[in-house]
Parts: sequence; structure tokens; C-alpha cells
Amino acid sequence: MDPAVQEKLMRILKKELKYSSMNLAFNMLIAKLQKRIAEDPGNMDSCMEEMEAFLAKYPIVAKVDLANIAVL
Amino acid sequence: MLITLEETIAKINEGKILHIAADGSLLDKLPKGKWIGGTTPYFISDIGGILTKDKLFVDEIDYGEDINICTYGKYNVFQVVEECYENGLAIMIMPYGSQVATKYAKEAPEVEELLMHPTVGWISGFDLNTGGEAKVYDGTTAASYTDKAVVMYVKLPENKSAMINMLNIFTDDKTDPIIRFYDNELSAKKCTVNGQEVDFAQYIEKKGIDSKLPLVADHNGAYINTSIKSMENGTVSFYAPVFKDVEYRFATPVKDYATQFKKIIDEAGAKDPVFSCNCILNYLYGELEGKKTPPYTGPVTFGEVAYQLLNQTLVYCEILG
Repeated sequence: MDPAVQEKLMRILKKELKYSSMNLAFNMLIAKLQKRIAEDPGNMDSCMEEMEAFLAKYPIVAKVDLANIAVL
Repeated sequence: MLITLEETIAKINEGKILHIAADGSLLDKLPKGKWIGGTTPYFISDIGGILTKDKLFVDEIDYGEDINICTYGKYNVFQVVEECYENGLAIMIMPYGSQVATKYAKEAPEVEELLMHPTVGWISGFDLNTGGEAKVYDGTTAASYTDKAVVMYVKLPENKSAMINMLNIFTDDKTDPIIRFYDNELSAKKCTVNGQEVDFAQYIEKKGIDSKLPLVADHNGAYINTSIKSMENGTVSFYAPVFKDVEYRFATPVKDYATQFKKIIDEAGAKDPVFSCNCILNYLYGELEGKKTPPYTGPVTFGEVAYQLLNQTLVYCEILG
């Protein structure tokens, strides 16, 4: 994944950037991971792994989100 | 599409793969085949919202490479995340009021990997005027169940993906008080409002809150509703569970439910959903009888599944790619 997009994804998970998707599952995942990181910032690595696995599994669906996140 | 019993039987006998919603009296007459079904006499059809016990709503599953049909009880319903195809869609139906539906409703949001596997579906019901029994059907045996979930796993081609979404007319006002509950429960007596413990039923009455308005939780812009079923003897019961550690607010009032519902449908922009279902509460409060909601047609349900159990929403699935 593009490091710049990865950096933005991390900021979304830390709630420093706001991004809402058209994809319900992606929004649910972001909310779930944000909560996990708020509970313990040390969870960031495992949350990023989960996020990247989700995006990699459904590239057709993720394409739009990754493009949108890149220009945040 | 809404079709006759004879037409449905013909499709089953042709070997077509079907998702069927109908009154139980019709589903009981179907032969064995590659289908799953659930009971409801309410539909949103091409000709509009309708209550009928004479026709069946049938979706042809013609976008998959293969299918598999399974039934699950409350002890193994989460095998859906293990038994689904690597790239696929699971279409799930559960009977209203069943233990399996309750288990799924309470625990699905915490199941690891659930969001990795597109799961869509609905809670089967009955005619609210006459009552009845909510059932699901496994077409491979033509058996019906009141206590099991039936799931059709659809294997998708590598270049396709399922995307599940929902339409919800409700949002919240971030200046409204935050409500939290103590556990994952389908009913509550106590909760906290901005950190202060209150008697929830008394709070609703004292504030004059319209119980047609659901509680809403903001999941990164996706608003998940929890609708109130009843308030009796100081206990507030819900159609879907409230969850511990989730922030809720009452939805902001909708001035004209029917007009607002039409507006969000017009704005949603889905082109060709392969599955759609709409909540009975939208059907009733949105006065959808006789009204068309293209391109969304399907059963009117006692709960919707988009990964987890939802309510007072329209859920749909598109195949992308």
C-alpha cells in the first residue's frame, strides 16, 4: 500500500482525519478499530493489519475508498 | 419479482437457484430444490408495497458460480464466517423471536472476521393483523424451521465482489444527550444519560420522546438504529439489542416519514441490487403500501441483516466488478 495512504488510514483510526465511506462494512470496521485504538493506542499495528486485510480482500470495493483517502 | 405458486414451482423444477419470501401456506407447497425461503406476507414489489398471501417474491441467484445451503441453530450460527466462500455472499434468514436470531443479534458485532465476509439477510415474520409463526425454509429438503437460521452461500467469480449497504432515514443531533447501556440486551430498565443513571422508561416519558423514533448509534457515519418495541412495567424492549459501551442518541424527529423515505431512496443511487429488503416499520410508518421504491424490491421484514442485525432500515446488496 502507498505509504501516504497508509499514513492517512492511521490518522483516520486515531480520529485525526475524518473519512466516511459509501461502504457500510468499511464504516463499521473503521468505527470498531477506532474504538479499539481509543482503548489502547498500542493496538494500532494489529488494527492496521486488519484494515489492510479488509482492503486487500475486496479490491473492487476498496478502490474508490483508497482513491478518496489519498486526496484527504 | 412477485409471481404465482405455479411459476415458482416451475423455476424450482428447472433447477434455478432462488431466494423466496412468501406466506407460509405457499412456501409449504414448494418442492425440493436449490432455494431458501422465509415467511412474510408483506413485500415491496415492482407494482408497489403489497400485503398478499397469494404470490411469492422470488429472486433468481444467477450471479454465482456455485452455492451451498446450510441451517444453523443458536450454538453454531457463527460458523457462517468459517463456512462461507472465500469470495462470496451469504444470504441469511432467521425467524423472528427465535433464539438463533437473538443470539446473532447480540453477538454478531463482536465476531472476529464478520466484516470480512459479506452477509446479508432478513428476519422472517407474519401477518401483523392475524399473527402467525415466523419460519425459514431449507429448499434442499423443503423443511421449515422456527428455530434455525438458513443460509445460502453464493460463490462469486474472482472478478466480482458483493457490496452490502443500507438506507436509513434517521440521523442524530450531536448536541442531544448521550445514552449508554450496561450490557448487550434486548430490553433495559436503566441506562445513563450524559453519565447520570436514569430509569429509561421514565426518561422517555418525562422528555415526551416519540417511541417511533429509534435510538441511533453513529458508526463512522453509518447510523445503526435500535427501535423500541414496547414499554411495559418500567422495561423498554427493543427490536434489536443495545450494546454496552456504544453511544446512543434518540434520532432526530422526521417531519414527513413517507416523503423523507422517498427522498433517501431517490438519492441512494444503487443501480441494480441483487437483493433488497425493507423493515416492516418503514412499510408502516412510511406508508409504503401501494408505493414503488425502485430499484429496491423484496420482502418486508421483521429485521434486516447487513453483517449484523439492523432495524428500521432498507438493506440491499450489489455485485460489483
